[in-house]
Amino acid sequence: MRGEDSAHYLEDSCGTPAMIRSLSFSLSTVLIFFVVACAAARGDDQLRNTIDSRVEAVWKAKKIAPAESSTDAEFLRRVYLDLLGTIPTFDEAVAFLDDKAVDKRSKLIDRLLDDPRFAGHQSEVWDQVLFGRNPPGYGTDKREGFQTWLRKQFSDNTPYDQWVKAILMAEGNTVDDGAPMFFVQYRNQPEDATEAVTQKFLGVQLQCARCHDHPFEPWTQLDFYGTAAFFARLQVVDAGKKNNLTMYAIGEKNLGDVLFTGPVTEQEVGKKGEPVKPKFLHGDALVEPELPKDFEEPRNFPNGMMPPKPKFSRKDQLASWITKADNPYFARAVANRVWAQFMGRGIVHPVDNMSESNEPSHPELLDELASAMVAHKFDLKWYIRELVNSRVYQLSGSGSVIEPMPALFDQARTRPLTAEELLDSWNVATGYEAMQQAAKAEPSTDRYAPLGSGYLMRFFGTPNNGVGDFQGGLHEHLYMNNGGIARLLGSGKGGLYDRLLNSESAWEERVDRLYLSILTRRPTDEERKRFVAYFTAEKDPRSRIGEAIWVLMTCSEFRFNH
Amino acid sequence: MKCPNFEHVSRRALLKGTLATAAGGSLMNWGSLFNSQATAAEVNKNQKRCILLWMNGGVSQFETFDMKPGRPTGGLFRPISTNLPGTQVCELMPKIAQNMDKLTVIRSMRTSQVDHPGGIHLMHTGYSQAAGIRFPEIGAVIAKYLGRDGSDLPNFIKIFSHGNTGAGFLGPKFQPFALSPEGRLPTFSTSNLNPQIESRRNELRNFVEDVYARRHKAETARMHREAYEAARRLQNVHDVFKIDDEWNKYRDLYGDSAFGRRCLMARRLIEEGVPFVEVGQSSYDSHADNFVWHRALVPPMEHAWAGLMTDLEQRGLLEHTLVVWMGEIGRTPRVNNRSGRDHYVRSWSTALAGAGVKGGVVYGESDLDGIDVKDNPVTEGDFFATIYQALGIDPETEHYNGVRPIPIAPFGSDVVKDVLV
Repeated sequence: MRGEDSAHYLEDSCGTPAMIRSLSFSLSTVLIFFVVACAAARGDDQLRNTIDSRVEAVWKAKKIAPAESSTDAEFLRRVYLDLLGTIPTFDEAVAFLDDKAVDKRSKLIDRLLDDPRFAGHQSEVWDQVLFGRNPPGYGTDKREGFQTWLRKQFSDNTPYDQWVKAILMAEGNTVDDGAPMFFVQYRNQPEDATEAVTQKFLGVQLQCARCHDHPFEPWTQLDFYGTAAFFARLQVVDAGKKNNLTMYAIGEKNLGDVLFTGPVTEQEVGKKGEPVKPKFLHGDALVEPELPKDFEEPRNFPNGMMPPKPKFSRKDQLASWITKADNPYFARAVANRVWAQFMGRGIVHPVDNMSESNEPSHPELLDELASAMVAHKFDLKWYIRELVNSRVYQLSGSGSVIEPMPALFDQARTRPLTAEELLDSWNVATGYEAMQQAAKAEPSTDRYAPLGSGYLMRFFGTPNNGVGDFQGGLHEHLYMNNGGIARLLGSGKGGLYDRLLNSESAWEERVDRLYLSILTRRPTDEERKRFVAYFTAEKDPRSRIGEAIWVLMTCSEFRFNH
Repeated sequence: MKCPNFEHVSRRALLKGTLATAAGGSLMNWGSLFNSQATAAEVNKNQKRCILLWMNGGVSQFETFDMKPGRPTGGLFRPISTNLPGTQVCELMPKIAQNMDKLTVIRSMRTSQVDHPGGIHLMHTGYSQAAGIRFPEIGAVIAKYLGRDGSDLPNFIKIFSHGNTGAGFLGPKFQPFALSPEGRLPTFSTSNLNPQIESRRNELRNFVEDVYARRHKAETARMHREAYEAARRLQNVHDVFKIDDEWNKYRDLYGDSAFGRRCLMARRLIEEGVPFVEVGQSSYDSHADNFVWHRALVPPMEHAWAGLMTDLEQRGLLEHTLVVWMGEIGRTPRVNNRSGRDHYVRSWSTALAGAGVKGGVVYGESDLDGIDVKDNPVTEGDFFATIYQALGIDPETEHYNGVRPIPIAPFGSDVVKDVLV
């Protein structure tokens, strides 16, 4: 980065007081941890109740009337999308809506959490957290090895701290083991790795301290480079080929330091920096064994073979420190991030900016969520079960709130479906797979069949701006309006179109099927009337059935999870 | 502009729908639907606009605006006089030579990215590529600040597109609408549906959206609906992109070239109120046969460019339209052993004309052989800050990517005030 903004530069906002604050902060976290751990051991309270009472207390204090409870249909569609990444089928919707059991919601949640699609969807969510749509680094766009590995972590319900540690240790290769792919993004860029690891796993923003001491947070450039020092010895090694894919491995050398040259504005050409030793954030310097005085090693690891382990691994030390239960940031960061995934926004928002100047909306609750996360050994499935069973999650998405992500969680959030969710939901709605099976078509191996990842990513891959707000774009509508989704609208046997056209039922019932199949709810009388009139306006309903399916597939009610 | 029948039908229906909705207490932004035809006429003539003439591959400063006659770096071409006394340009640009009174030429560009992908990114965004950040292109920024909600035409149009970060973190609302080098519309921009069917389908869709909007007030749904309307309105204005008739009249002014046609298209779009149009010309990367390439590329380009400025001026649009001319890099002073010039960013040239900038100005100077900037270096950040300032957009305007504030021109950029009116 060139230059810096001196107007934004506040002198000395870091230093000793912050260190003391941070120490007391982590002590209180540990204390709460014990309290909650004891309660959990007694089994007398569930986190879902804590969530509801904390959030309700703020509504009361601020005299906010929350939205009413979601209808069964609202809840059904929302929880399918959030847990499985797709809408339910017509049959699944009817079964749930007609079920009279009082505990049908919690039963459904249990069933969905054990559905194989749960692991598939959650791993896609985290793949985006870890890589995004346009990951840096050569070869990172082909990461089936990583994605398969991550899916397995979710289907085994491996504790979060363990799989994060595996990503940070980066052992093995990217094809067989998967996990090392994370660091392939940051080849020869220890500074980029520093930004990414601290943001994604600790929820803190160090990147300002890359070029100057942070203007209003207690981060100094030495914090930044002290963390970067853990990554300075990493090398991406090409360890051979398998199935036409390069097997990358992360090698770590015994020598090498980051050099610190001071603020960017004071840098001069040719000025050599001082080596910086690794130091844990707001913690101690890393104690390292001395290497023999005459120790030498080759400059690069040879290609075609796995790199040897170093005598002492800085990376592994950092991986252990980050994922420790008493790390002051780690549990809070994941508790907050997963909260935001289901509730729309973090208790600290944005989720990767946990800092003293960005206060949580519900501070006690965040402490309790983090402690419970530790007490339950980073069991994400347990945590998600508590979140979606809460009253807060199950509020209605309709009401007077204009913000798509209400800050006090007094109405369900409205979020755009991801490209994957749209595709999978369209496939379910139109019965695309049933049509394929009926036609005995070879099942596609393409994740993005039948629309293809090219168009899907271009038109739906990044629906938001840089701060996560949906931006209605012209192009997705041009795509939908002018034939882009035509492939889903086939007339094949078993598909929605076929079922509507070749049905003996009254048009009213067919409209019910249309709505249940696409919008996961029954139509109102007004809607039923309008659609029956649409279908029966002329003798031949064929074209009109296709039009009506298209209308529901492209409308706002379908575009968002609400 | 023609207006197909079904559009009248649906507009009446919409008008009815809007009144009913308004009576119900919910007001949608339908205003734009009523003025499809009127839009062009109602465009505020004072609205600032920008055309970027993009010389892809990196046009040579020595074969355009920064001649070094008689020097070892000077190359094959001769300088000619211009209508700006004391200023010469390359003989390949006789028409631009007669328009130098309209131009600000910067002969002291010094930028930071010397390869094509890095340079194309840099000179489209003002920023070097960085892991994890998708910077918006200048067209997206201008669309955001000078674009009109509810216009029939997209606010960011490219003809023969270069650069690939598009709207970046500004989001899909500001994505470019990219025409092919021949001016064809992008895939999916044309409806093949029978207009009657499209119209009734649209009415059914409006009904469904109305029902949802009654109980869901989130602004995301409103934006979604507006974008749908914009996609639909685009169908009404396809004639703007059909330039054959007008081309017959303007062929001589713009010169009979593909680039000339693109420039005429740009003028039509600007006249319709589109705030940003980029027009590309390619193949300047002359590592070999630099002089052959420039002899082939520069004359049609400069003919079209001069014609564009004349046309804009005659229509009273030049004073409201900033015309920017640049590539992503300059070319080396040394001519290599294949008669080529390689990539060079220590000292090169760009040009501006029209809205907000002085005419008849040569700013900055390179040294005797064009190896380095002699005075008044202009960085990419300074250049972008100057463009934004000329268009009336504060260059310190910030956007956020996550929690990081990112001004539209990088921190520390200086507006080149000497070239602004």
